[in-house]
Amino acid sequence: MNCPSRDKVALYVDNELDAGAQEQFAAHLRNCPECTAAVNAQMELKKSLRAAGRAFTAPPELHASVYRALRPQRSVNVLWKWALAPLCVVLLAVVGYLLIPKSRPDTMMARLVDQHVTNLASEHPVDIESSDRHTVKPWFQGKLAFTFTPPELAGTNFKLIGAKLAYAEQRPGAELWYEAGAHKISVFIFQSRDEQVKSGTSHDLSFNVTRWSQGGLDYYLVTDGSQDEAGKLVEMFKQANKS
Amino acid sequence: MEDVSRPQNTDFEKLALPLLDPLYNFARWICGDPDEARDLVQETFLKALKGFASFKEGTNFRAWMFRILRNTFLTSRTGLEHRNTQQEDESGFADAPGPDDSPEAALVRRADIDQVRKAIAQLSLPFREVLLLADIEEMKYQEVADALGIPIGTVMSRLARARKQVRDSILQSAGVKA
Repeated sequence: MNCPSRDKVALYVDNELDAGAQEQFAAHLRNCPECTAAVNAQMELKKSLRAAGRAFTAPPELHASVYRALRPQRSVNVLWKWALAPLCVVLLAVVGYLLIPKSRPDTMMARLVDQHVTNLASEHPVDIESSDRHTVKPWFQGKLAFTFTPPELAGTNFKLIGAKLAYAEQRPGAELWYEAGAHKISVFIFQSRDEQVKSGTSHDLSFNVTRWSQGGLDYYLVTDGSQDEAGKLVEMFKQANKS
Repeated sequence: MEDVSRPQNTDFEKLALPLLDPLYNFARWICGDPDEARDLVQETFLKALKGFASFKEGTNFRAWMFRILRNTFLTSRTGLEHRNTQQEDESGFADAPGPDDSPEAALVRRADIDQVRKAIAQLSLPFREVLLLADIEEMKYQEVADALGIPIGTVMSRLARARKQVRDSILQSAGVKA
């Protein structure tokens, strides 16, 4: 009952033996029921611990506060500051234009248009760069309390560039960044609130904004491309997220 | 000079943000309180961002982040209380193997998630933190040693004892004398 190799069980289960020793011990297991049973029991215990130990996920407000703490620290080099100055003037004009005549629900759209414009000028418009929707979708796991499916783009004019977390009106959301020819497209996705988002399109300052609700989520698509082009991507999103 | 900070922060975000949930999970397990865990994680991120320039490339970033969190915890009120009240038996290096090959192993396998959680919560802090990093975060022994600032031999002995205590606790709640 006391195999001399028994002290290697934990090292083997934890993958801490070097490759040669790992193989040697695996060979030993074929002839030692005592160590085999011990390995199986330890693996079972590890499995149970892993499942039980992952008990807590960070609340959305922690995601938001960490994100806020990181973002203002970013500084821009002097050259960029000068290059961005005219853009800031345009941005102020955009914000002013959008805020003055609009009622409250449109402030969300104004913010998202701002975000889109900021991205256009940014060196790093995304936190994860990938054209693969199967890479981008899982990146949001654990960061957002909801899920969605980015559409398949094969055979279309659209290209996925990447994604990042977005924040608007104190709620976290997803932002996907696409390219269609020379145009850039932002798709923002947030969990719906009680008030229904009105579906529709608008054309503020040359930006086409399309919004719709589907499956408990609010979608906003912002682009400087054509309404037809925007409509195609909207339709693809709707199809991909049909329940 | 100004050029340097932007890529650094971008790098920091890329490395650190995926650790938010694991750090929060670890913080909840070691301090037990959601508000305190949230503050700990937030403070950890701020300290890490501030000290990122001193982080040596090639060393383990995940272990570095967990170490900051754990040190922050140890200097908090709850952490100091733990330090003052916990007495740890470090004597004996190797742990006597338990009855792995008996029907008890089947009981451990069938233990429900609440039983296992209760068993983890009952561990003393030095055992719980080693178990969390090795078995839940799946860190290598060296990474655990780096995160906790203890020798690798201590990691191994604490881990063996922690696992044994968890197993005994599960068996006990199943009515088997461990």
